Amino acid sequence: MTQPLLEISGLKTHFGVGGTTIRAVDGVDLVVNPGETVCLVGESGCGKSMMARSILRIVPPPGQVTAGQINLHRQSGKVVDLAALDPKGAEIRSIRGREVAMIFQEPMTALGPVQTIGSQITDAIQLHLKVSRKEARNQAIEVLTRVGMPRPEQRLEAYPFQLSGGMRQRAMIALALSCQPRLLIADEPTTALDVTTQAVILDLIRDLQAEMGMAVLFITHDLGVVAEIADSVAVMYLGRVVERAAVDDIFHNARHPYTRGLLRSIPRLGIRVGEELDTIEGMVPNPFNRPSGCSFHPRCVEMIPGRCDRVDPSRTRLPDGTEVRCLLHEPHRQETAPAGALQ
Amino acid sequence: MTLVAKQGIRRSGSSDRRTPIYTVEGLRVHFPITRGVMRRIVGQVKAVDDISFIVYRGETLGLVGESGCGKTTTGRALLRIVEPTGGRITYTPPDGDPINVRTAGRDELKAVRRAARMVFQDPNSSLNPRLPVGEIIGEGLHYHGIARGAEIEDRVADMLRRVGLRPEYIRRYPHAFSGGERQRIGIARALAVNPNFVICDEAVSALDVSVQAQILRLLRELKDEFDLTYLFVGHDLAVIQHICDRVAVMYAGKLVEIGPTQSIFATPRHPYTEALLSAVPRPDPRVRGTGERVRLAGEVADVSNLPSGCAFHPRCRYATERCKTETPQLRPVGEQMVACHFADSLTLKGVGSYAA
Repeated sequence: MTQPLLEISGLKTHFGVGGTTIRAVDGVDLVVNPGETVCLVGESGCGKSMMARSILRIVPPPGQVTAGQINLHRQSGKVVDLAALDPKGAEIRSIRGREVAMIFQEPMTALGPVQTIGSQITDAIQLHLKVSRKEARNQAIEVLTRVGMPRPEQRLEAYPFQLSGGMRQRAMIALALSCQPRLLIADEPTTALDVTTQAVILDLIRDLQAEMGMAVLFITHDLGVVAEIADSVAVMYLGRVVERAAVDDIFHNARHPYTRGLLRSIPRLGIRVGEELDTIEGMVPNPFNRPSGCSFHPRCVEMIPGRCDRVDPSRTRLPDGTEVRCLLHEPHRQETAPAGALQ
Repeated sequence: MTLVAKQGIRRSGSSDRRTPIYTVEGLRVHFPITRGVMRRIVGQVKAVDDISFIVYRGETLGLVGESGCGKTTTGRALLRIVEPTGGRITYTPPDGDPINVRTAGRDELKAVRRAARMVFQDPNSSLNPRLPVGEIIGEGLHYHGIARGAEIEDRVADMLRRVGLRPEYIRRYPHAFSGGERQRIGIARALAVNPNFVICDEAVSALDVSVQAQILRLLRELKDEFDLTYLFVGHDLAVIQHICDRVAVMYAGKLVEIGPTQSIFATPRHPYTEALLSAVPRPDPRVRGTGERVRLAGEVADVSNLPSGCAFHPRCRYATERCKTETPQLRPVGEQMVACHFADSLTLKGVGSYAA
């Protein structure tokens, strides 16, 4: 077993708003191995983006990483706990964009609007690598070529608004890859794109990953995208990872009722016209008003009355490696469950 | 009219399906590009360029394509939210004479806009944040003189119940609702005045999957309950396949293919349709890497500067010299209508080839 690249345990990111606390990320455990693609899936508001931002310590105020560890195995062999670093300190800044880079959903807001693509990329390169302006420019051209940008020399002089959506996304990927990070965090990078462009960008990320051997933490709500690129998957619900498994197990042997519900509610190509989709009833609860016990119980079809609304399930590791937070899968409780249900 | 007549006999459902509700012939929506202080016209953006189709009573017709292909503009032109620059749009009420929408006067247009309604993509920007839900839904009732005073409130409460919201919410403002609930409000507003035709413009695109499935189910239930006809504009082909009886595919302002959903998805006849279908991610890791994927190179054609001949030719892997010079016309091939010179000879891949 290789050493993991990133190990997150018990991570909590909370937002204090007027006396109350929103627990956006509430005790997340996650492992990313070198070269692996981990998909983080969940509906809007489940905390997946805040989770990603916590890793780079770019949580917007009043949010704060309040507990847990984010252990990054650095290139030098040193292990740093990112959660313990000063978010404005030198060490985290030497990691951001260098060892861990991020791409965002909306390239138009993530890229600087008044700086050319070229100067944004060369700035990033010069910040982290000791190279001359000219050398940085050559590297920028090289990385733009690599992401499939036509005529990269001319595009260096282009501003983001002069590019189409797909090209802008390529420019942002080029910016993220400019210092050859070991981990790329991709926060819904294809959500705003057309399916045809999405397919091309996914191919690109996959090829670049194979070529550069970097790990990818891919955040999405689209299970189709997950099936296309993931090695392993973590499903989030209300700030927690409720199920973590290899991609094949998620799609063919899902354990958590929420994962199963999500899979049943996606329209698949090949479905017959008029065929009914299953849905998960209700909606994601308001984070101010979190249900007691298992936070999924009000929407769960397999809810055990008297137990799921009281007991907060702990993380259970099943023999095949799947980790799940659900009372149905807690071994010692499984035996007592029928008795409990009869009461 | 010949083209439209040909489409008319394609549907083999109940005879009811063959009654047109909306007939579109040669629709054009061009926007001028102006320059300088004199607003000199230097070009045209051909957002919608000469498209013809019929929506039959009781069916759901899907309109798909990439962003910028003109699908939303087409939907809006049907209600004259954007003014068409050419062509004919005819609305046929269930009982009464056909109305020429393009030349309709104020009263006629008002009648059309009562019978044909719209549900918008973004439930955040399509609801007035300063109006309580009761007024948002009730406004149409008042404007069309359907109800007055307390009766409006009763009908709004009833409408809220039908879309799955609690009638007590009538005095709340849109910000107090989640995305899925807001979309329900948008649907209630569209249906409050008892329309018979609804244009759903990307009505589920902004929603999470679990909520999306709920809204799709609601739309289907309401269709049966109110005997509606839908024009469903969207880009998610899996959703389209799920809800539509027929599908029309648009590229760069033109219709490239139209036909029954099953046959379009199983045997697409236009290379663009094939590419669109191939790009949809398949939600099963076991089929990853199987089957040949068609990838489109380049960008969607610029509608202010269209390529010569077939607008799709620069991205088409089957393109020949003929495609660069000669514009293909929509013509019947099998069960579909296709605008491609080689529709008869090409063997294209549909989704049947990878669906489990």
